[in-house]
Amino acid sequence: MKIASLFIPCIVDLFLPEIGEATVQVLRRLGVDPLYHKAQTCCGQPAMNAGYRDQAKKAAKHFIDVFGDDDVIVSPSGSCVYMVKHHYPELLSDEPVWLQRAEEVSKRIFELSQYIVDILGIEELGASFNGAVTYHESCHILRGLGVSDQPKRLIQKADGVKFVSLPLADMCCGFGGEFAETYDYISEEMVKEKVGCYLESGADLLVLCEPGCLLNIGGYLSRNHPEKKALHIANFLAGTGGVG
Amino acid sequence: MEIRTTLFNEIAEKEIRNPYARAFLKAMPAAIAARRKTVMGSFPDPDAAQACGQAIRAEVVAWLPELLEEFEKNALARGAKILWARDAGEANEMVLAIAKERNVTYVTKGKSMVTEEIGLNDALAESGIEPFETDLGEFIAQQLKRPPFHIVGPAINVPVEEVCDLFMEKAGMEKPTTDPVELGYAARLFLRDKFHHVALGVTGVNMAVAETGTIINLENEGNIRFNKSSPRTQVSIMSLEKVVPTMEDAMHLTRLLSRNCTGQAISAYVSMDSGPKKPGEIDGPEELFIIIVDNGRSEIYADSVAREALRCIRCGGCLNICPVYAKIGGYPYGWAYSGPMGQVLTPLLLGLDRTQDLYRACTLCGSCREVCPAGVDHPSMFLYYRSKDVEEDRGLRGKKRPWKESRFFDLWSRAVTHSALWNLGFRLARPLVNRYSHSGVITRMGGYFEGWFRTRNLPAIAKETFHERWKRLRRETAPGGQNGRKGKP
Repeated sequence: MKIASLFIPCIVDLFLPEIGEATVQVLRRLGVDPLYHKAQTCCGQPAMNAGYRDQAKKAAKHFIDVFGDDDVIVSPSGSCVYMVKHHYPELLSDEPVWLQRAEEVSKRIFELSQYIVDILGIEELGASFNGAVTYHESCHILRGLGVSDQPKRLIQKADGVKFVSLPLADMCCGFGGEFAETYDYISEEMVKEKVGCYLESGADLLVLCEPGCLLNIGGYLSRNHPEKKALHIANFLAGTGGVG
Repeated sequence: MEIRTTLFNEIAEKEIRNPYARAFLKAMPAAIAARRKTVMGSFPDPDAAQACGQAIRAEVVAWLPELLEEFEKNALARGAKILWARDAGEANEMVLAIAKERNVTYVTKGKSMVTEEIGLNDALAESGIEPFETDLGEFIAQQLKRPPFHIVGPAINVPVEEVCDLFMEKAGMEKPTTDPVELGYAARLFLRDKFHHVALGVTGVNMAVAETGTIINLENEGNIRFNKSSPRTQVSIMSLEKVVPTMEDAMHLTRLLSRNCTGQAISAYVSMDSGPKKPGEIDGPEELFIIIVDNGRSEIYADSVAREALRCIRCGGCLNICPVYAKIGGYPYGWAYSGPMGQVLTPLLLGLDRTQDLYRACTLCGSCREVCPAGVDHPSMFLYYRSKDVEEDRGLRGKKRPWKESRFFDLWSRAVTHSALWNLGFRLARPLVNRYSHSGVITRMGGYFEGWFRTRNLPAIAKETFHERWKRLRRETAPGGQNGRKGKP
C-alpha cells in the first residue's frame, strides 16, 4: 500500500479541519494510507511573508526534521507546498547540510490535486455533483507550482458536473495573508471582483485548491451572498462539506 | 517632484473611490495586457523571446560597470559629450549649466521617467527656465501638476472636460470641445510653436548601446524625435542601467519593449542617435550631451540581491497585470514610478523607511513576474525588502517594526518548533476568538483583526482541530477497521 505523509496547513487545522478530513478520505479511497505526524506545526509562510526570515528558518528546519524521512508528502494547500519547494532552499542556502535536506524534501512534496493526477495517475474518483462548477486558479498553485489542468480534470470527470469557465480565473482573489488585514480596503475590492466573476460565470459551485483563498472568498460569500458556495477540492472529491 | 510615498493608504483610499480612475482601471490595463498577449504571439516562440530578453538584462546587470565604460568610449568617439551625475542635484545642475551657457529661456522635453525621478522640471522652473513636456499625456499631467498615473498614459485618467478647461486656460485653445481630435490638434499647435523656436531639447533614453555608443528612444507621438532633431543642443538623460551590450540586444529589447508596453509589435517611432550631426548631414543637433545618472544605483549595485532591480526596462507590463494597481491606479505609489515597477525601484532609491507600504501592499500573486520581459522577480524582491526592514538594515534604511509584531513572531518561532506548545497556543486562543462566534460564524471582531471583517466573515475555530481529530480519524476511516499508520508524535 502506498503511503503519503500529510501536511495540514494552520488554516485547515484551525478553521477548516473538514478539508483535512476530506483529504484523508480521498487518499484512502485511492488506496493511499495517509500518515499524520502530530509533531508538525507551520510551514513558516506567515513569518516569511512578513520578513521574519530567521523565524521562518526555524519553521523550515522543524518541517524538515518532521518530514525529512517521508517518501511522499501531500498537502491540501499549494502555497504551503510552494513555501517548502521554493523558499526552503533559498532560506537555507548558506547551510549546506540543511540545504541538501531542503532540496530533498522539496522534490517529494505535492499539492493534493497534483499528487492525484500526476503521481497516482488518477482522474476519476467517483465524485459527483449535479450542476455547473467553476474553478479559481490560486496564484501559488497556478504561477508558483504550474498546477492548473490537474484540478480542472478532476472536477470535469466528476459525475453530473457541467464545467463552466470563470472569467479572469487567474486573477488574485485579494487574500495575501496579512494583506487582507492591513490593506483591507484594497482586498475588499479584489475579492468583490472575484466573486462578481463567479456570479457572472453562472456556476452553482466554485471549487479551489487553496485554503487561504477559500477563507477569503468563502468569507465574502458568507457575508454577502450566503446562497453561493465555495469549496475546497478535497471536499468536492470526497462529497463532503455540503456536496453530495 | 514631491515624494508622497508615506501617504500610500491615504491616497489609495481616495483613489479607490474615484469614479474616473475606476472607469479607466476597469478597462485599460486589461485591454493592454490582452493586446500584449496577442502581439507576443507574433514571435515564433514567445517564451524563448521572453527568456532571451531576460538573459540580456541579466547580462547587463552582471557587467554593468564594464558596459558603461564601453558605452562612454564609443559615444565619445562619435562626438557625444558624456557627463556622469552622482545624484539628482548634480544631474539637474548639469542641465541648468548647459541651458544657462546657451541663454535659453525654455526647453522642450520628451517623456522621461528619470527626469521625474531627479525632479528636473522643478529645478528648471526655479531657475527661470520653463520646461514644456511634449508628450500629450505628460503635458496634461505637468500642467495639472500631477504625478504620472500610468507609465505609458500619465494622464489617461483625467476626464476630457478637465483637459478641455486646461487647454483653454494654458494652451491657447479658443473654443471649448471634448472631441479628442480637436483637443489633440490644439496641443499640437501649441507645442509645434515651442519646437519651432527651441534651442535645447531634453529627452530620456530607452537603451544605450555599448557596442556603438548609440542611444535609442521608442515613442508613438513623434515628439521625442522633434526634441532630438529641432534644437541645436540635445540633452539625453539616462539612469545607468539603460545600457545594453550590442545593437542586436537592443533590437530584441525593442521588440519586447513595444509588445509589453503598449501591445504593439513596434512603436510608431524608433530613433537612434550615434553622436551629434556630422559634417554633411542635414539634420540632428549640433551638440549632444548624454547625462548618466547614478542617484544611488552604485550602492544598490553593491547588494547582490537588490541589484536585480536594475534589470527593469520600464515597459510597464507589470502595471497592466497587477491586481492591486488595477484597483488604486498610479498615484498612491507616490513618486515617479508606479505599480510593481515602482514597488521594486522606489524603496531602493528612497530607502525602506519611507516606502513601507510599497513593498507590503502586495499579495505576492506573481502576475508581474510572469510578464516581466526583463526577468525581475518582484515578489522575491518584496520579501527581501521586508526582511531587510525587519533586520533594520542600515544600507537600505530599514525601520524598526512595531514592537507587538516582532514579539509575536518571536513567540511564534518558539512554538513553531514544539508542537505541544503550538497546539497549546491554539487551545488558548480558541475561547478568546470564539467569544465572537454565533452558530460557528464570526462576523465581527475588534482589535488587530478588524480589517478582515470589513467585508468577510470567518469560521469559528473548530471545536476539534484536525490535530485533535486525527486520533479518531486514524481509527474510523482506515480500511478494514484496523488502525491507520502512526506518525511522529
